[in-house]
Amino acid sequence: MTAPVSPRPTRRRLGARLWAARMEYLFMLPGLILFGLLIGYPMVASDWFSLLDWSGFDAKSAFIGLGNYRELWNDPYFWGAFRRSFFFMLGTVPMQMGLSLVLAIVLNNRLMKWAAVFRTAIFLPVVAPVAVTGIVLTLMLSPFNGPVNGLLMSLGVIRAPLDFLGSPDLAMPTLIVVFVWKWIGTTMVYWLAALQTVPDELYEAARLEGVKGWQMTLFVILPIILPFAIVIALVSAISALNVFPLIQSMTGGGPFYATEVMEVYIFRNAFASTAGSLPRLGYASAAGVFFGLAIMVLTLLQIASVRWMRRSTRDV
Amino acid sequence: MQNGISRRGLLAGTAALGAWAVAGMRPAFADKATFAIPRDPIAPIPAGSSLRWVDSGDNKARFYKAFMPQYSDARGGAKIVYDGLPWDQIGTVVPLGIRNGTAQDVFSLPLSVSGAYAVANGWVQPYDDFMPDLAAWKAGFPAGAFLEGLNVFGGKTYGLPYNSGRMSSAYTLYSVPLMQEAGFDPAGKPLSWDDMRHAALKITQAGKGQRYGWIIGGSQVNRWGAVVRSLAQASGAAGGGSGPWADLDFRTGEYLFDSDAYVGAIDLLLAMKTDRSVFPGVMGMNAPQARAFIAQGAAGMILQGPWCVPQWQVQAPKFDFGSARTPAMNPAQGGATIVDAVASVNNTMWIWKGSKNQQLAADLFHYLGTVQGQTDWVNIVGPGDPPILPAAAKAAKISPRAQQVLELGETSVRVGPNPLVRNPALAGVTAVFKAPTPGFSATVQGLFSGQLGNVKQAMTELKSRMNAALDTALAEAAKKGSKVSRDDLIFANWDPSRDYVQADYNAL
Repeated sequence: MTAPVSPRPTRRRLGARLWAARMEYLFMLPGLILFGLLIGYPMVASDWFSLLDWSGFDAKSAFIGLGNYRELWNDPYFWGAFRRSFFFMLGTVPMQMGLSLVLAIVLNNRLMKWAAVFRTAIFLPVVAPVAVTGIVLTLMLSPFNGPVNGLLMSLGVIRAPLDFLGSPDLAMPTLIVVFVWKWIGTTMVYWLAALQTVPDELYEAARLEGVKGWQMTLFVILPIILPFAIVIALVSAISALNVFPLIQSMTGGGPFYATEVMEVYIFRNAFASTAGSLPRLGYASAAGVFFGLAIMVLTLLQIASVRWMRRSTRDV
Repeated sequence: MQNGISRRGLLAGTAALGAWAVAGMRPAFADKATFAIPRDPIAPIPAGSSLRWVDSGDNKARFYKAFMPQYSDARGGAKIVYDGLPWDQIGTVVPLGIRNGTAQDVFSLPLSVSGAYAVANGWVQPYDDFMPDLAAWKAGFPAGAFLEGLNVFGGKTYGLPYNSGRMSSAYTLYSVPLMQEAGFDPAGKPLSWDDMRHAALKITQAGKGQRYGWIIGGSQVNRWGAVVRSLAQASGAAGGGSGPWADLDFRTGEYLFDSDAYVGAIDLLLAMKTDRSVFPGVMGMNAPQARAFIAQGAAGMILQGPWCVPQWQVQAPKFDFGSARTPAMNPAQGGATIVDAVASVNNTMWIWKGSKNQQLAADLFHYLGTVQGQTDWVNIVGPGDPPILPAAAKAAKISPRAQQVLELGETSVRVGPNPLVRNPALAGVTAVFKAPTPGFSATVQGLFSGQLGNVKQAMTELKSRMNAALDTALAEAAKKGSKVSRDDLIFANWDPSRDYVQADYNAL
């Protein structure tokens, strides 16, 4: 007796499957083309340029293998910029996330009057052009009759005006505060979206259990929106590492490299030729590739954290 | 410094900023000028010719935006497109256009790219064949305007040197009332370094926190180098050149960074900082912002170029200002600003090798190189980009202040040796030279901000870095076939008190 043969699942050929989903692929095509042109090609080109001794000016270039990377390794100004980029990120992300979470929780309260007005006011800096913001803030922060110094002096916080952007010690902290002020609206919107996922029933149940005030936030809301924190932190961290326009318009990386982050370093080497020297597109590309890899590692770590967090909450 | 926000001050400041912005949006000079464009071209222009022209804009853009439509009409409606771009964009747009075969017909070379490099790499073409009276036309230029190795290569003329290089980017520009109140008259009696320091201090003390003696656009790193270099040269430091050989004493071939003049100039700035007579927050402002504070009466003096003059005349017509030569350690020493060519190298225009509109370009070059064209030029552009023909400067209908700053170029600037004229193969060195970090300007900025310590030590280390970078570049260029050596940078017959001319090159 032979065992009954179960029908083998029919495995459609790749071509047939592609054809069946042709409309989906068709709709993806414009995005793929743009991705290839605007992201894929520059990434591959940068990888190649990083292996060249090339000014970017003419067709002549010399393949030098990992020579640019070796030079980077021994360049204290590269490591200085690298360190400052991550210092900037560590300075901005926790402050931005913490403050925006507080704002979101406050503004999420349905009993609060004028919540929409406050939300708009907090979001307004986000839509202002970065370069314009930078220039205006340079005037606002000026130690010569700048309104910020005037206010601090009138409140008795300081006795003499502070050179916020000209002092090597103050320039970076100032930029961190400006960045947080500029982008806190975006993070607040993310948190508000996360807060929408907390079911009303949960609030009601918690209230019935006698949970009030900060306990509600700490024991009910936060555990639910915590997985969002990883994603928001990831987005905020990447945003904090892409800070070129703000720094370029406010300090240009100065004074004496005190605020030179990686993007400014790359720009300086790639385009802003120093006196007597041609730009170094190959070298700048190597710095860009190295920095890109560092961000990728950071992203992978955060993705791993998200997965770990999801597993943890599922197990609970 | 005032305590707290003054509402009146805030309102006045806002109004001033608004007025400044509005003034900045309108042309500084009348754009409805008429130009004496010759009725006939220098040679028949092929039908269908057109012209795309790109330079660094600024004052030049005012001229071309007014001139090009009229020139187009005078040449049968030839399509002419003018673009004024910032230098960093010139640095990307022009090379990219050349590589892609879409470059503008006429362009400025990116900064740090020499004519020799452009010729060697096939970027540009000569215009000898398109200008029938070339020799007579060139004879109208001052001696040294056209030089083999700068804009002439293999006997062929490539560049249009139509702006004078006799210009300092660090003249003493000052508020006359504030300087008079302090008891100084820089135009009548040039300032010594001590005078500069005392004048700054007196203005600051009299200002009681609302006025300061000296200001600089310190966020523009290059300003620090320009100011120290000019102060040192005015004090007798015979450092000339540009590019890898900037600040090199051509008599010895050694960098001057650790010389008494350079170190002393930095000490002067630090002394003014100690006196608290430097405007607060200079590290966070660029040169145009610093210039604006002078016109507002908040600062007494700035070391800047003649381009400030037309800006102030238009944007602050009631501002009473003066111009004088750069302060010197001892004005009696007779030091001078040293430039590397009679003509402005940055403003020299070139015809793209792939252009088919050479005849139209040459016709326009010809007009710009005549007294009439140069006079039209200076009448609109002013002293910021001075004409190369002295006759045009004299014939120009410009203000006495503008005329005065033009004359400063003639009296306080000398032309030094140019290594590229002696040996065009040195272009191979400029192509491979990698400036060290920090360079000269950044080092001065670091010393002023206090991030670097001992001046003499920092400048000695800078000299060492520059020597190493130059020697490496010379070796690399030689390895690639350029016949170059450090001896090419020694001009033993240079007398910095007078111009270095063709006869001096011949005598080497």
